[in-house]
Amino acid sequence: MKFYWDLFWSYIAQYAKGRLEYRADLLAGLITDVLYQSVAIIFLLVVFQQVPTLAGWRQEEVFFIYGYFLLPYAIFGALANGVWDFTDRYIIKGELDRLLLRPVNSLFQLILEGIELEPLMGLITGVAIMVWSGGALGLDWRWFDVPLMLLLTAGSTLVYMGIYLSLAAIGFWYDGRTGLLPLLWNVNNYGRYPTAIYNKALRILLSWIFPFAFVGFYPAAYFLRREAFLVWSLLTPVMGVAAFGVAVAIWRAGIKRYHGAGS
Amino acid sequence: MRAIETHDLTKTFMRTESRPGLAGALRDLFDRRQTTFVAVDGINLTVDQGEIVGYIGANGAGKSTTIKMLTGILQPTAGTLNVNGFDPHRQRERFVSTIGVVFGQRSQLWWDIAVQESFRLLQRIYRVSDHDFKTHFIDGVAEVLEIGPLMATPVRKLSLGQRMRCEMAAALLHRPSLLFLDEPTIGLDVSVKLRIREFLKELNHRYETTVLLTTHDLSDIEALCRRVIMLDKGRIVYDGTLTDLRQRWAGDRTVRVVFGADVDPGAIGRACEREEETTFRFRLADDEDLSDLLPALVRLGPIRDITVLEAGMEEIVRKMYETGGATA
Repeated sequence: MKFYWDLFWSYIAQYAKGRLEYRADLLAGLITDVLYQSVAIIFLLVVFQQVPTLAGWRQEEVFFIYGYFLLPYAIFGALANGVWDFTDRYIIKGELDRLLLRPVNSLFQLILEGIELEPLMGLITGVAIMVWSGGALGLDWRWFDVPLMLLLTAGSTLVYMGIYLSLAAIGFWYDGRTGLLPLLWNVNNYGRYPTAIYNKALRILLSWIFPFAFVGFYPAAYFLRREAFLVWSLLTPVMGVAAFGVAVAIWRAGIKRYHGAGS
Repeated sequence: MRAIETHDLTKTFMRTESRPGLAGALRDLFDRRQTTFVAVDGINLTVDQGEIVGYIGANGAGKSTTIKMLTGILQPTAGTLNVNGFDPHRQRERFVSTIGVVFGQRSQLWWDIAVQESFRLLQRIYRVSDHDFKTHFIDGVAEVLEIGPLMATPVRKLSLGQRMRCEMAAALLHRPSLLFLDEPTIGLDVSVKLRIREFLKELNHRYETTVLLTTHDLSDIEALCRRVIMLDKGRIVYDGTLTDLRQRWAGDRTVRVVFGADVDPGAIGRACEREEETTFRFRLADDEDLSDLLPALVRLGPIRDITVLEAGMEEIVRKMYETGGATA
């Protein structure tokens, strides 16, 4: 365990060193991230100009959910960049060979090689939005809310990683372009709105199949003191472990049938 | 001790064929046409600790697939294999610490960071202690390969020869007892080639490191390997010494003669090919000596230059099939 932890930090240090060599890129990355988040907030503001509540949820509550959502989103963004071009880079170009020649778990290496630090800026934005909207709502914070938030964020992040790593691992069986990842990238945004605004089919999809509701709405509902969702909120870490477990299982099966690239 | 031992090692791939057109694509969705392709077909191979073995064959003969099974990247379809006492694919994470691999066409270093940073990361990955890293690597391998001056350079700025030396060093950082080299000298100039060969000899001599070398360059094999294994269509067609291989299948040598004047080579009653105006190629049969041919040549006219050409790999493979004696 300590070995994996040390290795993780070594990669982060190397990433930072490599990044500092291209200062312009670093700056551009940061600006893009800030812009992306601003657009999302402006969108919410525009929506609430038209309708002051969303299926019984106040504007500040929806902002709070968005703030929470930014935490797992940021950590996922920092850790899982290997998933986007997995099929292309690791399967078709055969870079997986290199990972398999090293005495470290291959899935862990995929995550290590995809580390980026810029997305972590989202943590600051997320906390700021929660503090501001929580204040506006007059939420009373209890001491154990902080460790609980860490736990739920960890669960949400695992849900995120589980879904995307599972999809990436499809590349072991089918190395054409599925277009599934970009499609799901839109679905992932649905997780940050109250599920009440969706029909039943979509609710089931977001809760059980691609459980993006556990990345935003369900866990955030706990801090908004919406007792009706208490079970769902506390289910978040369980769903996280389950989703990640599925990803690991698919990955293992994939490694078994990996046939390498070309000659 | 055995470094490598395989029994009937086999790898087959399924290939999906796609039908033409939209209707074909739709049919493919439900009913995929798959054909089986045997890349490696029942190979029995034993390599002892400390051997340097040349693993040769034409493109598509199954060399890379064998190497990938031996290094644990691929799971064999059938047969058993034991490398350094491990089942490579099943015990992959423990097994790979005992081998080093250099793929000439692919880098295992990190593109954007300095050479020394890549080595540092590999040190962590292979759990090499700081003491061993200093004494065996920095003062050993890296010193011999003269990597010192390159340490601070980002990998992407290295020349091919410099990068190859770094790749070689990286593969040896954890002191593996078995080294796989896949086309390690491809594209390198002669001086770097010689340096790498010398280094490998030294390594083998000093640490008894076993080396399995895949290459198209017979001069690599000639310089390094006493034993050669030749593969064709997934099967071993020869396993023995290079000298033997040459004697058995490449006995015919070609003598290239440049005459100083116009001559009529037909006069000596031997088959020959005209290469240029006054340059001809004569065949020297297996049991003939150059001295059998020389007197006749001298009678033809003034000789400017004379070269004896040995057969290359393609020639040897062709001959094996012609004589039909392609079994070890």
